[in-house]
Amino acid sequence: MSAPPAARRPIAPARVDLAVELGALRLRNPVLTASGTFGYGDEYAHVVDLTRLGGVVTKTVTVEPRAGNPPARVAEVASGMLNSIGLENVGLERFRDEKLPRLRALRATVIASLGGETPDELAHLVAALADLDGIVAFEINFSCPNVAAGGARYWAEPARLEATMARLRAHTSRVLIAKLGPDVTDIRDTARACEAGGADALTCVNTFVGMAIDLERLGSRLGRATGGVSGPAIKPLALARCHEAAGAVGIPVIGSGGIASGRDALEFIAAGATAVQVGTATFSEPGAAERVVGEMRAWLGANGFARVGDLRGRFAAAAAQENGAPARRDRAGARA
Amino acid sequence: MSLVAARTWRQTDARVRAQRDWGAGFRWLELSVDGAFELPRAGQFVQLLLTPPSPVLLPRPMSVAAARRRDGRVTLGFLYLAVGAGTRALSQLQPGARLAVTGPLGHAFPLDEPGTPVLVAGGRGIAPLLMAADALAARRRSCELVFGARTRDRLVGLSEARERLRRRGSRLHVATDDGSRGFRGDVVALLERVAPRWRQPLVLHACGPHGMLAAVARWALGRGVRAHLAMESVMACGTGVCRGCPLPRSAAARARVRAEGAAAPALRGNPEWAMCCTDGPVFEAGELDWNRVE
Repeated sequence: MSAPPAARRPIAPARVDLAVELGALRLRNPVLTASGTFGYGDEYAHVVDLTRLGGVVTKTVTVEPRAGNPPARVAEVASGMLNSIGLENVGLERFRDEKLPRLRALRATVIASLGGETPDELAHLVAALADLDGIVAFEINFSCPNVAAGGARYWAEPARLEATMARLRAHTSRVLIAKLGPDVTDIRDTARACEAGGADALTCVNTFVGMAIDLERLGSRLGRATGGVSGPAIKPLALARCHEAAGAVGIPVIGSGGIASGRDALEFIAAGATAVQVGTATFSEPGAAERVVGEMRAWLGANGFARVGDLRGRFAAAAAQENGAPARRDRAGARA
Repeated sequence: MSLVAARTWRQTDARVRAQRDWGAGFRWLELSVDGAFELPRAGQFVQLLLTPPSPVLLPRPMSVAAARRRDGRVTLGFLYLAVGAGTRALSQLQPGARLAVTGPLGHAFPLDEPGTPVLVAGGRGIAPLLMAADALAARRRSCELVFGARTRDRLVGLSEARERLRRRGSRLHVATDDGSRGFRGDVVALLERVAPRWRQPLVLHACGPHGMLAAVARWALGRGVRAHLAMESVMACGTGVCRGCPLPRSAAARARVRAEGAAAPALRGNPEWAMCCTDGPVFEAGELDWNRVE
């Protein structure tokens, strides 16, 4: 066992600096909403002050509107939920003409989640939205587990990811985030491929493929055989994938998977994440993301961290020391 | 037009005021919430979230059976059957226990529509119709209440229903599948027999199992009678965000949503599926494809 870190003097929570950077993008705090759990941002605006969040990641937008999957689309499982929504969304045109103006009016920091069945579709989306005001970054959904074409399995090929990221890179100077799925042999391969293609950051991870069977009917509890598992059940799994990815790349990683409290979020930061996303928790508690910001601030202050960045990767540093390797503050050090 | 649609639901703390056994596994639950909570209307629902440690993660949607404002607080009443992990845990809560309530959510029964109000309840579908009966009484309007269940034991809330109707000279019509009480047969067969005697036109407001609602909807559509059906679904958020509670739209509704195109409210612009939570839970009969409702 390594010695616990030396006690730090508490800092007034209000003085804790929560700002983080994802490439050229500076966020007021590290807490984002996870795509698909916050609509297009305005649905919760009467109960959540969007300007208090690091940013809002929208529901994934595709070129054409999508009607989504047949019912049932959601099922609760132990400490989590299964979903099979199937990327229901209003499509590019209505997102641009109706949703984006509302988000601008709310002065939210908007990260548009984009999904496509082919590299061409993603390139079309980025090109169409690249010059519009009100979007600070794009999160490319390379990992939807609930669509027949262009889902997590299609995008799990590192060569395809790298080539596609490079193509999108050529269309925009805005921050590009690649959202990765956990159901791959080695997430370091998909993470490195996105970095090589020019991604500014990664989101780790999307939902895990899962099933639930209704024994009496001998059928799926969803309309499809499988869905994506989210919620507290996946937090330890997501944390491990996030830690692994953060150790493999030099770009920032956004942790996602079962985060419902400030402590959850800070575990991801300690594991190497720069920012976090709150998703399924919002379904139970619409104000969850805003609460997480406050809880992070309180813990960091009480434990004497003046900046959230001072906690980043600290777990990795401790593990490296334990193995006799020199402690290094940068993420590259965690590779050793 | 405002850029941001008006939404009035919110999440607030609640306390259990009372919980009673109503027989046959049914429970009556009363919650107290702060006075700023908007008073739900009949047909609307709320999301009940158990506080940790809870055996379930997601909130449970529940139709409101009573709502009143008193002493600066709002009291909400619910009639439910403890069938799953969530409702079983709910049934264990003692007076004073805390939970969170989100609401009011969804669309209510349009009780001001002209015509004779006919409330059609199947089993525990009586819950929102008890509230509808109260609301009609408050408007000094009489109604016909058709209440059906498989057996007399499952006519839960029958005495409450009778009490609510007595005040305004409205009438109660009872049916059981096995004939153990009232008319022997289902509510549609009973409607077929008694409805011609009522003052026309009729406006139906129904809640019950989906099979019963499909039968009521077909009966109404076949006779040009307006009918509003309160549907159920498994839900996650209950607020239109997760898109988790789709119901199949009718061909006419699909065509209408397609024609409205960009003019349709964006969240409601899915031509294939309506969301139970925000498009409903109360739907006009012509809106859904009853052959595909599960």
